[in-house]
Amino acid sequence: MEGTRRLEEIKKIIRAEEDWEPVGPTPMPHVPDLRNWDRRLLKTYKPFYAPFCDLCCLCTYGKCDLTGTNRGACGIDIAGQQGRIVALACCIGMACHTGHAAHIIEYLIEKLGEDYPIDLGPGVNVECPHIRLVLGMKPRTLGDLKKAVEYAASELVHVLSSIHTGQEGDPVDYESKALHIGMLDHVGMEAADVAQIVGFKFPTSKADTPIVDLGWGAVDKEKPVILVVGHNPAASTEIIDYLREQGLEDKVEVCGICCTALETTRYSSKAKIVGPLSRQLFFIRTGIADVIVADEQCIRTDLTIEAEKVGSVVIASSDKACRGLEEVSDRPSDEIVKEMVEQRKHFLILDHRKAAEVAVKVALELSPRRKDRKTLMTKEQAQEAAKACKVCRNCEQACPNLLPLASAVQKAAQGDFEELKWCFERCIGCGKCEEACNHGVPFQKMFQSVASWETWKCRAGRGPIMDTEIRKVGAPIVLGTIPGVVAFVGCSNFPEEIEEIAEMAEEFAKRKYIVVLSGCSAMVAGMKKDKDGLTIYEKYPPDFDAGGVVNVGSCVANSHITGAAIKIANIFANLPLRANYEVIADYVLNRVGAVGVAWGAMSQKAASIATGCNRLGIPVVLGPHSSKYRRQYLSRKEEDDWTVMDGRTQQLVNTQEPTPEHLCIVVESKERAMVTIAKLCMRKNDTPQGRQIKLTHYIDLHKKLIGGLPPDLHHFIRTERDIPMFFKREVMEFLKEKGWEKKPVLSLPTLIGTYKSKAKIEDVVGGAKK
Amino acid sequence: MTMPYHKVNVLTGFKSAAEMKDPKALAKIIKRAERPLLVIGPRALNIKIGDKLFLEYLVEIAKAGNIPICATAHTKGKIEELGLVPDSTYDIMEILNHLKDPEWKGVKGEGNHDLVIFGGFRTDLGNQGLSTLKHFAPHLKTMTLCKFYYPHATFSLPNFRKDEEWKALLEGLIEELKAS
Repeated sequence: MEGTRRLEEIKKIIRAEEDWEPVGPTPMPHVPDLRNWDRRLLKTYKPFYAPFCDLCCLCTYGKCDLTGTNRGACGIDIAGQQGRIVALACCIGMACHTGHAAHIIEYLIEKLGEDYPIDLGPGVNVECPHIRLVLGMKPRTLGDLKKAVEYAASELVHVLSSIHTGQEGDPVDYESKALHIGMLDHVGMEAADVAQIVGFKFPTSKADTPIVDLGWGAVDKEKPVILVVGHNPAASTEIIDYLREQGLEDKVEVCGICCTALETTRYSSKAKIVGPLSRQLFFIRTGIADVIVADEQCIRTDLTIEAEKVGSVVIASSDKACRGLEEVSDRPSDEIVKEMVEQRKHFLILDHRKAAEVAVKVALELSPRRKDRKTLMTKEQAQEAAKACKVCRNCEQACPNLLPLASAVQKAAQGDFEELKWCFERCIGCGKCEEACNHGVPFQKMFQSVASWETWKCRAGRGPIMDTEIRKVGAPIVLGTIPGVVAFVGCSNFPEEIEEIAEMAEEFAKRKYIVVLSGCSAMVAGMKKDKDGLTIYEKYPPDFDAGGVVNVGSCVANSHITGAAIKIANIFANLPLRANYEVIADYVLNRVGAVGVAWGAMSQKAASIATGCNRLGIPVVLGPHSSKYRRQYLSRKEEDDWTVMDGRTQQLVNTQEPTPEHLCIVVESKERAMVTIAKLCMRKNDTPQGRQIKLTHYIDLHKKLIGGLPPDLHHFIRTERDIPMFFKREVMEFLKEKGWEKKPVLSLPTLIGTYKSKAKIEDVVGGAKK
Repeated sequence: MTMPYHKVNVLTGFKSAAEMKDPKALAKIIKRAERPLLVIGPRALNIKIGDKLFLEYLVEIAKAGNIPICATAHTKGKIEELGLVPDSTYDIMEILNHLKDPEWKGVKGEGNHDLVIFGGFRTDLGNQGLSTLKHFAPHLKTMTLCKFYYPHATFSLPNFRKDEEWKALLEGLIEELKAS
């Protein structure tokens, strides 16, 4: 329930008087404002829980065993507890992106002023689709982005408070809160990345961003090496600036791991991407980095301990990860440099300019003294080291990716390195194997002897999808003739070899889907070459179009992927965005065949990003590790009610058609993932021609990867016109066997009007003439 | 309480699987079930026990016990090569989602299953799936035939250090099922 005072406040913040679009029903929403939308979604896509822990240990009543029908001392049951933990994970993830946004905006305002304009170039007029959609504000300046972040932060407080003992208890309400936070995560990510683009002049309004070097083998270890790790480019861009000012850009290597690497290559194409998060420990142990500059998120918390093992030094540059280090921001640079070089001290430096100067100076002085620390383990040395193994198999038991490490080490001891290489390609880089080993087998160093040291290529992140591209592909996506948009996102906790991302991405690019990538997934997509030595980024066009392969950038650039779906509703279908969340999410759910794939999702951020996709109507396919997130959103196609409103007749129609079938699902193998992706791209709005194309890929992938026609094919064929010509005879026989009957085909399917909402069916019809 | 082989599956509660080493006892549980189901995962395609695939053992168990099969992931083709047509091909989470519902009609349309046997999954994913059934499907019992202990199952094999022991158990189970 909104009070008049709050509404007035909102109107002031979003400048409601501006007439770029009428203000919709939910400006700057609280949880209850979109609760009915969530409950409608979750009526079809019910939360499916796989508890990772049977207990609750959050308060001093506990520990409480919640097994089965047990309730905790506060009254919570196991389903409520799962919803609670999911909401908490989303809060943590969203707080990271929003905290990143808050920091980077503050930093840029300090440098450029609050009124610094947001201009994303001639190709991007809808600059911030999420902020327009959720807040109802058209941000013009860095100061406006700050307002968006402040709103998101205030909502976070409310949701986080609901996790306290004796607050929310209902699992679906916890899910609604998680969905709310997921939505706001995309607001925070968008604010962060748009600020970075305008503040650092990252590429925008262009598709063909530079191709940059990728791989640990791309780093010239003969030069002084600065490694940046994390997600926030404030320090790394200062390093590049300092090197440019001093004429040192070609004399010092700047390389990165995880998203800071992607951000840095958006700033300088001379910077190198070492690789994803899973190669962090591996690379630090090579000793190649003289100086490690850590910012925030996904940095090993034992970074200084690991650095000391190889004589590297660490500069922590974020208040979010001070790591117990002495803060020296106000000390003279040369004094800090001296202590770092001579005493190998690590420091916290929150002045990014100073951190950059110190990093460069230390790297220059330290590098000649550390030449001997950059020597890689040879196969002969690895064979010798492997002999320490007593085959106790503690390493195998500790490995979260279930790798046969002891067996691999045994073979290495006999000079056979194939299995060790196989393990490295599947290693997620946690280092638990070494921790568990009582005999000092140096697994991560041994991997140096089997890792490929070749150089791959990655396209630098390009930021938002251009409005001009949306105009071109809007119709084919909505009608289904471009079979889908497939976004490979998230971390590198992959279940099998790292090349699986490149293989899946290429399969869909070949099939003329639009392939979009971000974060660690964007890097690993470049880590596979074809027989001509080309990576996916060199083989496929960088356009947001059929068969294109687009790297949007880092984690926070994920907002541009969901932003593209929003823009399709706005730019192609003319639906107003302004504070009009339900109508747009409903459009995306029923018409935009987009699917997210987080094959190696690890973090709370990934949980939050995926949940934000789900509230917007975008299904997500997850790899097997993600079952540990505890929750999926699944339907049961045979049993569930697939009734929607026909926007044209305003009558309820049982479509009998489970599209999209799930909102969030974990699958075990790459093969099943690809079939599931193709299936989840189907939408009720597909034209017969579009559905034919989508079914062609679904059937073809199923036949190749699983065998035979998909057993649920009859659910997705509405009329004979949907049947792909190539498979017609076979499919007709199958349909006869199944006793298939025609289903209704709707050109304006919508959930609006099927539940209590401020959004009206007229709002859907009015804008959706196309 | 038995510790699972992979530490990622360490139990954080109190209700854990009964460890089963005797093929006769396992066969008895299977025979007693009115509507058992065997759910096969993709690791069964790669794990070798001696010169045979784990999948071959699972198919033999299905044949010997006349147990319907749900082929998950991409296991269907190989199961068919081994001479059995799977009764269903849901993916792992989809079949679990059905099994949770006591009113579900089962893969044969005869009612939900009362015993669900699993083999061939990643141990972490498998244990997560079994957690779902332990908490939300009190109407059924679960059994695992993989080499490692699954705490969330109702009945689990122990951690076998040697494949020979595992092989002997699986062969014993097949014999017992055939004998009925």
